[in-house]
Amino acid sequence: MDHKLSRLTTEQRYELVAYLDGELDEEATARIEKLLAENAVARADVELLAATYELLDGLPRPKASSEFTEKTLATARLAEVKPDITQSPFYRALQQSLPYFGWAAAMIVAGLLGFAATYRWVPQPHDELVHELELIQQLDKYQEVGSIDFLERLASEEPLLNELRGHSRAPATH
Amino acid sequence: MVAASSSSQYLKDPDVQLMLRVKHGDDQAFSELVERYQDRLVSIFANLLGGDSAAAEDLAQEVFLRIYRARNGYQPTAKFSTWVYRIANNLASNSRRTAGRRKEVQLAPADSGPLGMNPQEKVLAEKSALMPARQLDKSELQRIVIQALESLNERQRLAILLHKFEELSYAEIAEVMEISEEAVKSLLARARDNLRNILETYVK
Repeated sequence: MDHKLSRLTTEQRYELVAYLDGELDEEATARIEKLLAENAVARADVELLAATYELLDGLPRPKASSEFTEKTLATARLAEVKPDITQSPFYRALQQSLPYFGWAAAMIVAGLLGFAATYRWVPQPHDELVHELELIQQLDKYQEVGSIDFLERLASEEPLLNELRGHSRAPATH
Repeated sequence: MVAASSSSQYLKDPDVQLMLRVKHGDDQAFSELVERYQDRLVSIFANLLGGDSAAAEDLAQEVFLRIYRARNGYQPTAKFSTWVYRIANNLASNSRRTAGRRKEVQLAPADSGPLGMNPQEKVLAEKSALMPARQLDKSELQRIVIQALESLNERQRLAILLHKFEELSYAEIAEVMEISEEAVKSLLARARDNLRNILETYVK
């Protein structure tokens, strides 16, 4: 490819602008100067970039009005009369300690979550006893009964059951 | 130790010295700072806001009020000008956002629509109408340059204004806009490319 007229890469274009602004280090400056010496497109580009940038000198540069300083000082002093809470030592101390409060709150929340998780999901030795309390309370009777077959047979003996019920309702005679 | 040495490198900045006097209650020093920066800020804001001088003064005043309010906690951790322009950049961004919310149905400046052409289109249309180039008077050329600047997006425009008129280095612009130097390099290169495309016809 003919280097004299080859188009520039994006990086080269960025470097051309930085070169014009004197923002390149020695090595990059030498690289761009070599490019400018060899490439007519780069030379034309750099000239156009410089010339169009100079046109900005014609932009209006409005100035502050004559009473600006006075007005600004008066407004600043007025703001001083109404103290800004963000500038008070208490607010600043509070702001500085906020991260610590944040950490403390996070630790408390983590502790509570840990406690809740442990309480909910980790089994305790007495959990099973509480769960089976009803069974344990009736354990003597269940042991006397012996088996489900016996209970079923007993249920089919209606007269015997009635006799037992009547016996249990009858008042003690001795 | 590091903080102390990074602070001390800015103590030679005369504006930092003034600000330290403001911190210790010297209102005369604050007045001097206002006088030093008021025109620069009004000019930047006016060019950012499309020439609205009243709004530019309001924003410039707000910059100084913020500086005054922050005086008690002031620490010289940057050049004073960098701090001022950073506040200005934040205010300009907030003002754009507020304006954007107010004009929800209006088109962004870079778009064109029923209200007419955007600045870039206007300049390009005029550029083609003016071919072959004729002599423009100063005010006509100024209007075209303003339109060319308005065709840039807000960030490109601010970077150009800080570089061209405030003579800030890429590193300083990066600090003001809170972006990397590489980002400033590409921002300025793209902005300059756009300006060249629009203004090349008007270069003698």
